Formats: sequence, structure tokens, C-alpha cells
Amino acid sequence: MTAIASTASLIRRERRPGTTGALRTLALRRLALTARTPRELLVPLLTPVLFALVIAPALKTALHTSASYESYVAIGTVGLLVPLNTFFLGLGVIVDREMGAQRELLAAPVRRGLLVLGNLVVALAITGLQIGTLLGFAVARRIHFSPHGPGVLWFLAAAILLTVAMYGAAETLASRIPRQEEYIARIPAIAIAPWFLAGSLFPITAMPVGLTWVARFLPLTHALALMRYGLLNDSSGLHAIWRMHSTTGSAGLSLAVVALFALVLMRIAIRVFTHAATR
Amino acid sequence: MIEVEALTKVYPGGVRAVEAIDFTVDPGEVFGLLGPNGAGKSTTIGMLTTTLRPTSGTARLAGYDVAKQPLAARSVSSAVFQEAVVDRSLTGRRNLELHARLWNAGANQIDSTAAALGIADLLDRAVDTYSGGQRRRLEIARALVSDPRVLFLDEPTAGLDPRIRHELLDVLAGLRGRGELTLLLTTHYLDEAEQLCDRIAIMHLGRIVALDTPANLRTSLGAELVELRVDGDGERSLARLREHGLAGDDAFVVGSTLTVPLDGRGAAAAIAEIEVLDLPVTGVSTRRPTLDDIYLRLTGGRLAEAA
Repeated sequence: MTAIASTASLIRRERRPGTTGALRTLALRRLALTARTPRELLVPLLTPVLFALVIAPALKTALHTSASYESYVAIGTVGLLVPLNTFFLGLGVIVDREMGAQRELLAAPVRRGLLVLGNLVVALAITGLQIGTLLGFAVARRIHFSPHGPGVLWFLAAAILLTVAMYGAAETLASRIPRQEEYIARIPAIAIAPWFLAGSLFPITAMPVGLTWVARFLPLTHALALMRYGLLNDSSGLHAIWRMHSTTGSAGLSLAVVALFALVLMRIAIRVFTHAATR
Repeated sequence: MIEVEALTKVYPGGVRAVEAIDFTVDPGEVFGLLGPNGAGKSTTIGMLTTTLRPTSGTARLAGYDVAKQPLAARSVSSAVFQEAVVDRSLTGRRNLELHARLWNAGANQIDSTAAALGIADLLDRAVDTYSGGQRRRLEIARALVSDPRVLFLDEPTAGLDPRIRHELLDVLAGLRGRGELTLLLTTHYLDEAEQLCDRIAIMHLGRIVALDTPANLRTSLGAELVELRVDGDGERSLARLREHGLAGDDAFVVGSTLTVPLDGRGAAAAIAEIEVLDLPVTGVSTRRPTLDDIYLRLTGGRLAEAA
């Protein structure tokens, strides 16, 4: 073999996919696996839809509040849907590790962080689909939203960043927990408990002062306040957190908080996954 | 193609799984790591596939350091792992396509590789409908579609029934002629190692205790040996043989069976000398050494029992 032929052979065999191509492949794989697991798509949707369509109207009747309470709770249920959905998708990481192709992916010539990001892309897509479904059900049930131009952007930014943050937490948990049963047992504490404190069903100022302060440190509180600001033009949640006159300033600060959580939790997720996957 | 120097792995908690092993594998060579479970074979494969971090030492694949250039090292290699590592709900074809894309290889080899491994008809079925042997073939096909320079096979026939195992051994033997493909396989089956491998490294407690061709390893115990079955303590009987110069350091005991290499002495004369000692012998036989004997001498345990 000549030197040129030898080099050509070497080049041919040391090929690696580009980052975008690898991310696309990994995301499509995760999507294909998720599509074959209806549980991951439907189960997280059940409780929030029940909240939006049954419990919120029932609360309105029982408490004799104004019609806007249904809208208030409908947005609140998005705050339940996102953690539930992302944590259910996190189960896929454990399945991959226990009886799937995770080792094959770890032996592939792609950066391991892309494995987490590929899953995140699918988590964003499915969560978006589910939020759309939830809001669609709510609108069909004549629950009123009053989105304004930039408001939709606030809503989308908050929903996306909250999903990133929650999926980061889910991946981290899945990388550290050895078995599915143990992972599922932790979901109520991590994914659901904060929902009761984050102003989902009532303003955070309705709680004792200590819990109000706890709520201010939860990304979900900031995300819900942003979503209500965006879709209901209701800035009371933002004012309750920041006590500022500037609504836009408060919204910017809350968005920064959710973005910070998203960034930090995803970085932790990638780090923990890489470390746990290659002891 | 594979260069390993002082490679060591200590797991958290202090378990020393691999202890400063050295070996090289030439391009196109089939190299076997032989040993029981816990010997360090899979840990070695894990480090070479970069799914485990070496504690110290170096390993290179096609010149790429697995610790410092992991992406390059992974790009020239593929692996078939001991356990099933496959997306079961996807079709076989989808699994092969995913591998081809992640290794940036064309999908044009999928059908020919699947045909070569006898799974062409199964490709469009979900993998969870495959039998164990079919799934293993799929995993081997998957590893080959990226045209790797190094293929790692970790216990490729473990858990398969004898017929499927032998079919798979034929498939693996067929990989020999596949260009410059270098194969490193681990196994605890001696016949498998002997049938497939150009050279074998026997691992025991994380160390390589012997490394040579199967033929050379066998001849290290001479041309013939005596096997004695004794009633009672085999170690005491061996000690007596050694006291009288009838057994050397290469003799060993497993349970109540003593294996004594003859080291050039005649079998009849050796047996006559042993009889004089009046040991509680219940059976005597002579035979040619096997790889099993080498392993037993080096590790003190029968492979099948250890596995």
C-alpha cells in the first residue's frame, strides 16, 4: 500500500459526525423510542388536564371566585405538566442504561454531553406538544386567555427555560438513581411538592411569610408568574416576588432566574451523566 | 493497533480490577483475553472503549490515546458488549442506521453486512422479537457497519445455547479475513479462545499471568501429564510427591485431583514411582496438556467453576 493510499484509508476510517448531525441522530432516536412508549406521552398529561377541566371549575364554583380563577389555575397546571413530563422522560435514561443501548452510545465518537442534549430536544418538543394540548383543552372549555404580542414570548421563554431546568434535574436524578422504582418514588418530592408552594393555585403571598420566601427561590414560582404575565396579562405574581413597580423589570429578573436554573441544572446533568456513565 | 501499557483500574472503594497490564495487538490479529468472571477482562474492554476511565497507565487504539483522544479512539473502534446493548423497541435496521450515522459511515453496508451475518430477513422487525442468537448477530452486524479498525467483543457467546454458540463462532471466525480488522475478544470458554485467537492473554485477579499463542501455552506444560485422583486431601498428596521429587512447581491440585506434568519423564516410570509412595490413589490417567491445565496451574481454579 502506498503512503497516499494508507493515509486515505486512515482518513476514511477516522470519520466522526458533526455536532449537529450527531444531535439530530440522537434526538431522532429518543423520539422514536418515546413514540413507542405512549406512557411517556399520555400519563403526564392526565393530571394537568384533570386540573384544568375539572378541579379548577369546581374550585371556582365552591369558592365563588371570578371566572379568571380558571385561567389562573390553567396556567398553574402548566407548572405541574412540565415537571411531570420531564421526569417521566427521565425514566428513559434509566431504561437506556439498564436494558437499552446506552453503552453503544457511550462508545460512539460523539461528545457525551450530546446524549443529554439529544434527550433534551425531545423533552422540549413533547412538552411543547403537551402544553399546546393542555391550553387547547382549556380554550375548548371556554377558559379565557388574553395574550398580547410580547406576552406570548414571555410565556414561551418561561416554558422553554422551565422545561430545560426540569429536564436537567430529571437527567441528574436518573443518572444517580440505579433503579426505576427508586426514581419514581422520588418524583413526588422533587417534581410535585414545589408545585404546591409556587403559586400554582393561589398567590404566594397567601402563604405564611416563611413559605413565601421559600417560593421566591423556586424556579417554578418565577416561571408561573412569567407565564401568567404573558398569557393573562396578570403581573401580580411578578410583583409578589420582586415588589418592584416595573413589570418589565420584574419579568426580566424572573426570566434571568429561570434561565440561571436552566443553565446550572443542565450543566450539572451533563456532568453527572458523563461521570456516572464512565466511572 | 492496540497498545496497552501499565493499564490499571481501581474502582471507587479500592477494588483493584485491573493491575498494570501490558500487551500489544497487531493489525489484523485476533487477540483473546481469557479468564473467569472478575478477572478484569470486561474492565479492560471498558477502558479500551472509553466507557471506563483508567486509573493509570496508557492504552492506544490505532495510535490514539483512549484517555487523551477518546473521540478519535472511538471513531476507529466498535464494540459488542457482554450484555445486550440494543434499542429493543426499534427495528434491527433502525439500530444499524443509528450506528452508521453516529460513526458517520454510509448506510450502504447495512444490507450486505446483515446478509453476511444471516439476519437480512429480520432487519425490519422490532429487536424485541429476536432470539438471543439473532440479537447477538445484530449487535455484531451493527459493530461492523462502520468498518472499524478495531472490534471489541466482550464475552460474545455468553448465555447462548450450544448450537447458537457454535453458529456464532463460525461467524466470528469469518471475521478473520475482513481486511485489517483487529479483534480483541474476552471469553471464559477455552475452546472458543483456542479456535479463534492468534494469541491469548490469561488474566487472573486483574493481572495478565500468561500471554502467548494457544500452542505455545499448551506446550509450556510439556508433552504429557499424569492425572491422579486421590481419596482425601489432595494438597497433602501433592506435598508428598514434591518431597520425593516426583512433582515440580508446575503440578497443581483441584479438589481431589492432582495434575502432574511429566517434564520429559516416561509415563509408565512416573506412575510406578508414584505407586511406591502408597498414596490413597483411586484413579490414574495420562493425557496431553490442554489450555485448561494452563489456566488451572496459573489461577488455581477451573474456568467453568469460576465463571
